[in-house]
Amino acid sequence: MIQPDNSSAIITVKKLHKCYWVGSMPFPALNGVNLSIDRGEFAVLAGRSGSGKSTLLNVIGALESADNGEVIVNGENILGMNHTERTLFRLHNIGFVFQSYNLIRVLSARENIAYVCQLQGMEKKESEGNADHWLNEVDMGHLGYRRPDQLSGGQQQRVAVARALATNPKIVLADEPTANLDTKTGQKLMCLLQQLNDKFGTTFLISSHDPDVKNAASRLIKLADGQVVRKWEKIPPTTPPLSKACPIKNLPFTQRVRQFLRDKRKRSSQKDKKGPTPRRS
Amino acid sequence: MIKPVIYAVALRNLLGHLRRTMLTVGAIAVGLSALIFLWSFNDGLHRNMLQNFQDAIIGSIQIHHEGFFERPELSRHLRNPDKIITTVEQAGVKRWSRRLEAFALAASDETTEGVMLIGMEADREPGITDLEKRISIGRFLREDDEYACILGATTARNLKLDLGDPVIMIGYDRFGALVAEEFTLVGIITSGEMGLDRGMALTNIKSLQEMLDMPGGVTDIVLRAPEDGIQQLTDELIFALSDENVEVMPWSTMFPVMNEWIILHDGFLYLFLVVVLFIVLAGELNTMLLSMLERTREFGIFMAIGTERYEIGLMLVFEALFIGLAGTLLGIIFGTGIVLVTHSTGIDLSILLGSTSRFYVDSLIYPHLNLDHLGTTVGAILIASIVAGLYPAWKASRLQPVEAMRNV
Repeated sequence: MIQPDNSSAIITVKKLHKCYWVGSMPFPALNGVNLSIDRGEFAVLAGRSGSGKSTLLNVIGALESADNGEVIVNGENILGMNHTERTLFRLHNIGFVFQSYNLIRVLSARENIAYVCQLQGMEKKESEGNADHWLNEVDMGHLGYRRPDQLSGGQQQRVAVARALATNPKIVLADEPTANLDTKTGQKLMCLLQQLNDKFGTTFLISSHDPDVKNAASRLIKLADGQVVRKWEKIPPTTPPLSKACPIKNLPFTQRVRQFLRDKRKRSSQKDKKGPTPRRS
Repeated sequence: MIKPVIYAVALRNLLGHLRRTMLTVGAIAVGLSALIFLWSFNDGLHRNMLQNFQDAIIGSIQIHHEGFFERPELSRHLRNPDKIITTVEQAGVKRWSRRLEAFALAASDETTEGVMLIGMEADREPGITDLEKRISIGRFLREDDEYACILGATTARNLKLDLGDPVIMIGYDRFGALVAEEFTLVGIITSGEMGLDRGMALTNIKSLQEMLDMPGGVTDIVLRAPEDGIQQLTDELIFALSDENVEVMPWSTMFPVMNEWIILHDGFLYLFLVVVLFIVLAGELNTMLLSMLERTREFGIFMAIGTERYEIGLMLVFEALFIGLAGTLLGIIFGTGIVLVTHSTGIDLSILLGSTSRFYVDSLIYPHLNLDHLGTTVGAILIASIVAGLYPAWKASRLQPVEAMRNV
C-alpha cells in the first residue's frame, strides 16, 4: 500500500469518495481512493472505462469536487477551495491535456498557448515569446499561426501539451491523451511527454488504457470500480532517461519495466510455493 | 484587474463567427436607423407644423394687457406699447409687430358675416407671419393703404365679394359706441385653414385705430423667436414687464391643444421605440444565448485552463457591448445618412395624403435630426444590447468546467 503521507509526494489522495447522481440513482465513481504521486513522476492511471480514472483526474485537477476524503496537491487541500480558488489553483499549478485536445478554436496554436500565459499575468509580447518557445519544444514552431481546425489530431495534441506546459505547472494531468490518435502518432506523443518529463521534471499523471502509454509509465496505478486495485512499484530513480529512442517498445526503459515485472511475478510465485506470507497493509 | 486578453478573445469570438455577428449588428443597425429616420421625420413634421402654425397668424409670443386673451375687449388695450417694444428689443427680439384686434360684422350688399378684424403693421407683419404669401387673389396690405382690407376666401365667398368691392365693417369702439367704416377688398387669402379662410379680416392698423377712435391703440404685440428660445424669452419678458400689467403668452399657452397633440405624437413614437427595443433585445438575446450554448464546451475549456467566472461573464458582456456599439454606429451612419438625404430632398406627402394644409402641414416635409431624440434612441438601443448580453454572461459564468466540457 502506498503511504499517502510521503513527504516527497506532490499529490496525496486519502479515502476519496465521489458519487454521481442520475435522478435518485447513485453511481459511485470513486470509492475510497488512496494514492500518492511523487514529484517528477510519470504515472499512469489505468483501468476500464467507468473505473473512475477521469473522475480521479478531474478531482485532482480541481475541476470537480468530491463527496469525502482529502486531496492534497502541491501542499494545498483542494477540496476545501471555492470555485475561484480552484480556478486560480489550476491556472498556477496544473496543466491539462485532454482526450479531444480542447484547444480554443478561434485562436491560433500560438494564441492558445499565449492565452494561458497572459492569464497568469504575462505581458502580451512575453507570452508570445513563451508560446513560440513551447511550440518549438513540441516541434510545432512552423505551424504556430494555424488554427486548430487547420491542424491534424496529433498536431493539435502537441499544441495542447505545449499549452499545458507553458504556464510552468507543477503537474500535468492528461486524460486519455492518445485515445483520439492513431498508434504511431500516439507513440510519438508519449515520447514527447516523456522527453518533457525528463527535461523539465514536471510531474505527469496520465489516465489511459493504451498499452503504449502504460509501458511508458514510471508507475502504473490500476483502478477498478472507483478503487485502486493494483500499483506497480516505482522504477528506481537511477533509471536513465527513457525517451531518447522511439518507438516506445524499443526503449531500454520499457524493457526494464518488463524485466522488473517478470522478476516480481517470479518472486511472488516462489513465495507462493514456500507458503502464505502475512499481507502487507 | 481585467486582463486585456479577455477582450482580445471576445473580439476574436465575434470575428470567428462573422456571419452571426454581422446579422445581429445589421439587425440593430436597421432598427436604429429606422428609429432615427422616424424620429427625424416626426421632428421635421412638428417643426413644419409649428412653423406654419406660428406663421399663420399667432406668432411665437404675444403680449397683451392682462386678461385680454380670455376676454378680448378694447378696454384691455396695452397702456404703454412703446415701453413694451423697447423692452422687447432690449431682449434681443428684432421681429415684432403691433396689432389692434376687435370683433366686427362684415357686410356686403347681400349679406353679413362676423369677423375678427385685425389691424396690423403692413411693413412689419411679413417678418412675423407669412400671410403675405397666402394671398391667392389680389395683394397684401401696404403701409399707405387707407381702409383696405383682406378677407379669407370662405368669408369673401359667403359675402359674394370680389377684389375692389366695398366691405362695410361694423363694430364697437372702446367706449361701446357703434362704429362703421367702408373698406375696400384688396386681397383674398386661401390657406386651407379654417381659422384664416373664415372669420378673419385684416386691415392696416392705422385705419382700424381711426375707425375705433383709438389713435396709437394696440391690443397685441406679436413676436417671433426661434422655437427652442421661446420659453426662455417668455420668462425674460415676464420678468422685465412685471410692472406693466401685461400677459406674455407663448403659442403653447395660447393654444395648448397643439402642444398636446405634439406630446401625444411623440408618445406614439416612444411606444414604437419600446417595440423596437424589445425586438433588438429579443434578437440579440437570442443570438447571445445561441452563441453561449454553442460555445458551452469552449467555456468549459476556458475555465479548465484557468479563466475565472467573472472573466467568462465579461467576455460575453464585452461581445454584447461590441455588437451593440457596432450596430449603433452603423445605425447612426445609415439613419443620419437617410435623414440628410431626405432633409435635402424633402418627402412629398401629397402623393399619399393629398392636401395637409388644414393641419398646418406642408406637403413637402423635411426630416430634422433632433440631438435629444437621437441621444435617447441611441442610448436606449445601446443599453438594450448590453442588457441582452447580461443573462447569457451570467449563465456562462455559472457553468461547471467538467459538465461544460462534456457538452458537444
